[in-house]
Parts: sequence; structure tokens; C-alpha cells
Amino acid sequence: MIQILNTVLIGITAGSIYSLMAIAMVLVWRSTRVVNFAQAGMALLSTYFGYEVIQISGSYWIALPVAMIGGAVVASIIELVIMRLLLKHSSQGAIASITPIIATLGLLGLIKSVIGYFWGNQDRTIVSPLSNVGFTFGTNTLAISPMKLFIIIAILVLVLSLTFIFQRTNLGLALRASAYSPEISRLAGIKVDLVRTIGWALAGAAGGVAGMLQTANGTGTLSPDSLEFSLLLAFGFIAAVIGGLDSLIGAVLGALVLGLVLAFVLTYVGGSLVFITAFVLLLIILLIRPGGIISQKAGRRA
Amino acid sequence: MIGKNRRKLIAASAVIAAGSMLLAAAPAQAAEQGVTGSTIKLGITIPMTGIASPGYNKIPGAMKAYFNYVNANGGVNGRKITLVVKDDQYIPTLAVAKANELILKDKVFALIGTLGTASTKAISRSAQLSARGIPALFVNTGFSGFADKKAYPTSFSLLPSYQMEAKVIGKYLDDNYAGKKIGLIYQDDDFGVDALNGFKQAGINFAVKIPYASGSQGVAGVAGTWITKLQAAAPDVVILFGVSSATAAALGNAYAYKYSPKWILGSVGGDATTIAAAKKELPYFMAGAKGLSFAPAPTDSSDEYIKMFMDVNATYNKGVTFDNNVVAGMTSAFLAVQAIKSAGVNLTRKGLIAAIEKNSASFANPGLTPLGYSATSHVGATGYWIGTYDATGALKPDGGKYTVYTTDSGTGAVVLSTYKRPAMPAKGLPN
Amino acid sequence: MHKLKSNNLLRLIGFVVFGFFLFYLSNAIDELRVYQGATVAMYVVAISSIILLTGYSGQVSLGHGALLAVGGYGAALLRNNLHAPVWLSFAGAVLVAALFGSLLGVTAARLSGPYLAGTTLALAVGLPSIANQFKFLGGEQGLIFDIGLPPASLGETFSQYKWFFWIAALTALIAMWWLQNLLRSRYGRTWRAVRTQSVAAELAGINTARSKVLAFTVSAGLAGLAGALLSMTISTVSPSAFPLSLSFALATGAVLSGVTTLGGVMIGAVTLVAIPEIADAFTQRIGASENVTANLPGLMVSGLLIVVVLFVPNGPVEQFRNRRKK
Repeated sequence: MIQILNTVLIGITAGSIYSLMAIAMVLVWRSTRVVNFAQAGMALLSTYFGYEVIQISGSYWIALPVAMIGGAVVASIIELVIMRLLLKHSSQGAIASITPIIATLGLLGLIKSVIGYFWGNQDRTIVSPLSNVGFTFGTNTLAISPMKLFIIIAILVLVLSLTFIFQRTNLGLALRASAYSPEISRLAGIKVDLVRTIGWALAGAAGGVAGMLQTANGTGTLSPDSLEFSLLLAFGFIAAVIGGLDSLIGAVLGALVLGLVLAFVLTYVGGSLVFITAFVLLLIILLIRPGGIISQKAGRRA
Repeated sequence: MIGKNRRKLIAASAVIAAGSMLLAAAPAQAAEQGVTGSTIKLGITIPMTGIASPGYNKIPGAMKAYFNYVNANGGVNGRKITLVVKDDQYIPTLAVAKANELILKDKVFALIGTLGTASTKAISRSAQLSARGIPALFVNTGFSGFADKKAYPTSFSLLPSYQMEAKVIGKYLDDNYAGKKIGLIYQDDDFGVDALNGFKQAGINFAVKIPYASGSQGVAGVAGTWITKLQAAAPDVVILFGVSSATAAALGNAYAYKYSPKWILGSVGGDATTIAAAKKELPYFMAGAKGLSFAPAPTDSSDEYIKMFMDVNATYNKGVTFDNNVVAGMTSAFLAVQAIKSAGVNLTRKGLIAAIEKNSASFANPGLTPLGYSATSHVGATGYWIGTYDATGALKPDGGKYTVYTTDSGTGAVVLSTYKRPAMPAKGLPN
Repeated sequence: MHKLKSNNLLRLIGFVVFGFFLFYLSNAIDELRVYQGATVAMYVVAISSIILLTGYSGQVSLGHGALLAVGGYGAALLRNNLHAPVWLSFAGAVLVAALFGSLLGVTAARLSGPYLAGTTLALAVGLPSIANQFKFLGGEQGLIFDIGLPPASLGETFSQYKWFFWIAALTALIAMWWLQNLLRSRYGRTWRAVRTQSVAAELAGINTARSKVLAFTVSAGLAGLAGALLSMTISTVSPSAFPLSLSFALATGAVLSGVTTLGGVMIGAVTLVAIPEIADAFTQRIGASENVTANLPGLMVSGLLIVVVLFVPNGPVEQFRNRRKK
């Protein structure tokens, strides 16, 4: 019984970690129609900013907002310098489907090399600011600790405030409109370019939070080629695709489904089936709903 | 008359042909590739970047430090050693490409310290190390396949095989935890499968066996499921036979779940510096866990080799923290120097291989187990001592004395070793 | 019609001449270059498989490494267990990968760009780990794929790598010849029609889904062939030889070559092989610190990639053609 409960809790916490990365991918996709593989690099770089702040100030709570802002700044610069040029040069034809992906892969490599140059190819660590020891329930220890609870709450706050921005503010309207139809938005007086940059900045901030939470939570390490960050990227993207790339709620839902399914398969079916389970789950969901769980109505073509 | 002449002619041309063939077959007895009168060039391909790099990327630097120390003191048989380093990112395809650059472009004399079973195997096959007679010294893998001298006649491994390690753990369990419930977490590939074979030979029955896919320890939540499974089965002793990041993940989650069995950490994953890099407080709850090693503990400055390595590290490897990886790199370099010295002034690849096979028993080296190199086996260290981790993550021998068990990769028994390590040559130099 | 035929003939002559040039080259260069040449030939086949898929049929794959793995394992299993001759193990690799690709293509045809990218990415992450689940796939250390020594008739000094190069170059030449004929056929025209004007194509009676599945199948077959070549050059096949970074490298190579035309495929292939060595040589010459040495190759590849994507997005060949047209 306690094992089932703990498996559920493990699934939910893991899902909430994936969801942060998934949210960041969705934000960029919605604002610029780019699948951003540099997201892992951006998150990593902002976490290194946070790491430096911790080295100086000793406080995780100062580092967290710094990493957020750092992430937003890095993302805005990337959008301003590279993505704009990219959209100008190759927004049509066969090339348009693959160049943004390749460009962000290039960026990912670039960021990793820069980090390796400045911080070296070695592991660094961020000490968790809250206890990692699970709450007690009777004689059992639950698979949820103050730190994990904080992560779940932080993600809830993030998703709610982002949803609020998108649904209830003028900025949100502009974000949605310029993603839907940049031409018409421009005619309606929306500064489409600025709005795109804001979309990237939001994603960068979310990535910064993801990196800081992920590194403090588990036994994840900080290194240019961090296994945890690469996997976070892959699983975050898979979660976003499962959920439907256009929906924030979808991203969270996709991440939770992925987290829970993985936790149960690992516990009750086979310990080494992680990667293949992720693929099969993705395949099954996309076979049923080719646009993810929360998909837009069949898009107009041409 | 004519016939006779013709016969002579044929005989003569046959001699000439045979002579020229001999010449072609042994063109340059004098100049072996990578060796000159004053230098020897070695090459290493190892992950300097990529997911496997942290920790291991300190090995080439440590090797260079020891070689430079030797070079500064006159070299080996008058020759100075240089080491060319290539980054293979732990990908076999790259490892082969880099090994080819080392052999064909940098023209190294021998390879040293390649890491990883798949990479080592691919290099050995594709670069035809055996056909070309290129030595691959002290490969960094405990895969028992490299003991097969027929398949890998020029490769030598230094680490004891994973199978040996499992047998030694089995012996320890038999002696101390007979009749108790045993649990196991292992990497679901050759690394773990080799160990499973060893445990089977030792007659260990597991109450719970938890496999994990290589790399999956980095996926959020995965290590949590290991602990809930362990809690459900409630073994008294849990063996952790994985890489360092998996050990860190398991210990971290056990701490979070207030789960504390008796841990036994395999030597690959029991690397405290790498684990401490993952989480500073982890060494603290490694305290009391059992661990294995064949070399003296890196913290044991009373050991003459460790002391010498520490000094070399401080002078020739400035700013690098002294740890297991540095000891591993320097041990390989030290052994390479011993082997080269023993191969004599007329250094050839064949000669080097023969020297290791013949003379290794007398090689000075920091390892606490006998070296097993012979004409029939190319596995180096042949056993382990078992100790306990203290609160700083340092593995200390129980009772202050290294108790060493030795065995083989086959069906041989595990026995207490009576081996006495040769004393270190003066200043740790080949003299 | 007449002109078409003579064009075909000219192209065939071109391929044969290029083949002779490679043959001459293989005797003129040293063993390391010959080995690298074999790797280039492997990349040519792999990259052209992506160009076919993305440039001609408009589908994105980030998981071609997995298809290479299918081909590599297929070839090794055929060779090791059934003692198939080399050519047959290569043909087997193509068939197995194509079969696998057609199954995947059925799914792929339903998905739009990023969803397909996600699915193929998940495939590249998931598939290689299967090797550890089944004993006959050899686990982490993988299987041996030994194509044997070069025939004795080629002489004593004929090296193994030259043999690899001959096989890889010939295979690549045949594959490219066949592929460019295919692209000029009815199928090629259909793919382009579906890519550029999918609605119009459907109205014209073209079954777009079937056309996409076919493209995926052919692309997978080529990827399988590349996988067999890759396994040949490293004489083994193991899960870690097909990491995610291989899939990314192939996509990179395709963009460097220009995804809309097969003409530049050599450019991407040569670049992928050359850059790490150039960076290596450079850092060794300047005697750079460890942080620079370790990270410069990655920086160069990534930097080049970004520059190409920003300024020559259609690849050098297309750029050149456009300039001439103007």
C-alpha cells in the first residue's frame, strides 16, 4: 500500500520536474514556432549563474531569482541576435522545418562549450535549501519532502501566473495573437517582434527555475555535459509533445502522465525500461491523438 | 648444361626472392614507431567531454604529471615520455577515429588507458591492434572479456574484473552475513551481467534484484523507485553495483526515505570525490558502508606510493584535487614506466608485451594485490581489500590493516592474499 | 525525351569517372586518410537519407541514429549467425531498416513537424537501450561485425582500411546513383509536389500519406545501409555507437550540405569528419590550456553550424546556383 502511494508521489514529483522544461519549450513554440533545443543549455547556463551567486552570497533564495533573470536575459539576447536573423533568412520552404531545430542545436553546443571553457568539465553541486528527507506518515516515510513540496508549489504558481498572463492580460492577448497570425497582429498594431522576445524571455526564466530546482532536488550535478540536463531536455520535450505543444496545461499534463507511467513501469514491470517506455508511451498517445493530449482543432492546412 | 644453369638460376632467384621477402617483412628493426633515442610517445583516448567525462577526465593530467616527474629526473632508459591526449566522448565511433589518429598520424608507440568496454573493443578490432602488434596498456575496464588473451593479445587491463569483485563480495557476505537477506542494485549491461555471474559462482541468492538502464539514474524519479522496491523487500544488506552517479542517486534517495540497510558499494561506484561532487552531504551518509579497492586509499598518506603521488600532484599537476582518479592515472603511468624500463634499451612493441608477461611479478606498483599478467592472462590486479567508509567518504581498511582477498575470473576460490608488495624504488623513479 | 537519356548517360559517366578518381585517390593517400574516407562515404549515405526525407518529402527526423543502429545490428546478425557474405549483410541491413522505417513512416505520416521531431527523438533515446534487454544483441559491448581481410589477390600491402574505403566508396556511389535516379522519377516529383503543395497534390489525386510513408521507407533503408558501413569501419556494433549526438550530427551534416539538393552532400560529410581533427591540430599547435583544448572542437562545430544556418540556410550549392541565376 505504502509502495503504491510512494510510487504515485514519485511520479508526481518527477512529472513536475519534466513539466518545467516542457513549459519552457511550449512558451518558445507558441511565440516563435521554434522547437528550442538550446533550452537545456540556457537552463544550464542560468543555473551556473545561480551557482556563482551561491558561492558569493551563500543563499539559495537569492540565487533562484538571479538564475531566473539570467535565464530571461540570455534567452532575450538569443532571440534578438540569432532567431530574428534566422526567421528573416529561412522562413519558407523545406528548410523552414529543420533550420530552427538545427540552429538551436548549434546554440546548445555553443553554450556547452562556453560553460566548459569558463567552469571546466567537472561536476559542481548546489546544496538543497530545504530538507530532502521525506515527511513521516505513521511508521512510514513518504516519497515527498519539504524540497519536493516546494518544487510542486513553485510549478503550480508558475503555471497559474503564466495562464493568467496569457488569458487575462493584454500582453497575453498579444502573445497569443502574434503566434497565431503574425501578419494580422502586425496590422492590428501589435509589436510582434517585441512580443516574440518576451515569449523567449519567459521561457528562459522558466528554464532557469527548472535548472535550479532540478539541481538542488536530486543528486543531479552541474557540468557542461550534465546527464541530468540532457535527459531533462529529452523528457521535457517528450512531455510537451505528449501534452500538445500549444498548451501550457498540456505540458503539465503530459509531464505528469510521463512521470506516473514511468514510476509504475519501473516499480512493477522492469527496472531498466525507462527509455523504451518513454518512446512507447509517446507513440501510443500520438497514434490516438496526433496533436498531443490537448491538441488544437485540426489545423487549417496551407 | 643448360638445364643445370637454369636450375642454378632458379635457385639463385629463389634465394634473392626469399631474401627480399625477409627484408620486406622486417624492414626496420631499429626504429620502432613512436620511439627515438631520446623519446617515447604514448597516446590515450578517453572522454574529456561528454556525460562520462567528469572524474575520468582527470586521468590524462595525472598520467602526464607522473611522466613529467620521471622526465625531469632523467626519463626511462634515457628516454622521455610524452602523452598525446584525444577526446572520444565515450562514443566507440569516435574512439576508433581518435585511436587511428594516434596510431597513424601522431605515430604513437602504444595506447594507454582507454576507457569503456565498447570503445576498447571497437578500437582493438578496427585498428587491428593485434595484427599490428600495438600494445594497449592498462585499459580502464573490468570487463572479464579482456582476460581472453587469444582475442586481445596486445591488450592489458589493470582493474580486477567485475566478476572477481563480485566473488570477493560473495566471500565477504558468506563470512559475515550468512543467512541474511541480500539485495542488489546493478547496471543492466555487461558491467552488471559480469557481476551477476560472479555472484552466482559465489552462491549468493538475492531477495531482490533491481536492474537499471545505463544513464537512467539521471532521470528524475528513477532512483526513488529503487528505494521503494528495496523497502518492500526489506533486505538486511544491499549491494550497489553501478557507476558513481547511480551510487549517489541511490544513497541520496535512501537518505530522503530514511532507509538505512547495510550498504556494500562496488569499487566503480564507490568513488567518494565524484559522489561528493554530486552532493556534499553524501559522503556523510556513506559512513559505515563497506567498499572495495585494490590500491591503497587516496587519503592514506602513510603509504609510500600515495605520499609520492601526492607530492608529484602538487608539483606537476597544480590545482588538481588529489583523489581516486588521480591515483588511478598515476598508477597506470607508474606501471607503464616500470614495464618500459623492464623491456630494456632496445624498446620494441613485442619486447614490451613480453616484458609485462614475463616480469610483472617483480614490477613495483602501488596495487595491494599480485599482478596477474602472464603468457596466458592479461588481467592485472587480482583481488580486493574490503574496508569501511568514514564520515568524510574516505575508505579505511578495517582494523587499520589491509586484508586482501585474491581470486580469478573463473571458478577459482577466493583466498586471503599473502602477497607482499615490492618496496617502492627510491623517490618512485625507475632506477 | 532524347535529351533526358543523354543527360542520364552523362551523369552515369560522371559517376564512373568520380569512381575512378576515388580509386586513384585511395592509392595516393595514407592510411589515416583512407580510413577517414570510408567514414566520409558512410556520412554521404546517411546524410543523403536525411536530405531525401527532409528536403524532398518535408519530414523531420532527429532520430536517424536509431535507424542506423537497426541497419548495423541487422548486418552484424546476418554475418555472424548466417555467415552471410558482405554484400548480402549490407542488403539485409537495408531491408531490415526499410521495414522498420515503413512501420515508423505510417505513424510519421500522421504527425506534423515538431511532433514528428519529438517521436524520432524519443526513438533515438529509447532504441539503443533495447540492445541490453536481449542477449543475442550482445549488450553494452555489442557484437562484432567483421567483414574479413581484403582478398589476397590485392597484394600483401593492401591495408584493411583501404578495403573498407573501397567497399564504402563503391556502396556510396551505387546508392547515390540509384537515389538521384529515383528523385528524377515519378516518385521524386510526387514527393516534391507533396512537400510544396500538399493540398494541390491531393486534389491532383496523389495519396500524400502513402507518398510520405514511401519516402520514410526509402530514407530508412539508406540509413540502414549507412549503419552497416559505420559498423564496418569500427568492426563492431554497440548501443553507445549510436548516441543522440550521432542523430544530431547527421541533421547538422544535412544542413551544412543544403537540405534541398543532393549536390552538396559531400560538403557536409567531409566537414563532419574534418572539423574535429582541424580543431585538434589547432589546439595542439597553440598549446592551449585544458579548458580550451576540450571545448574548442565543440565550439567550432556549433559556431560554424549557426553561421551556416543564418547566412547560407539553403546550403552552399543552392546559394551558388541562386547567385548564378541572378
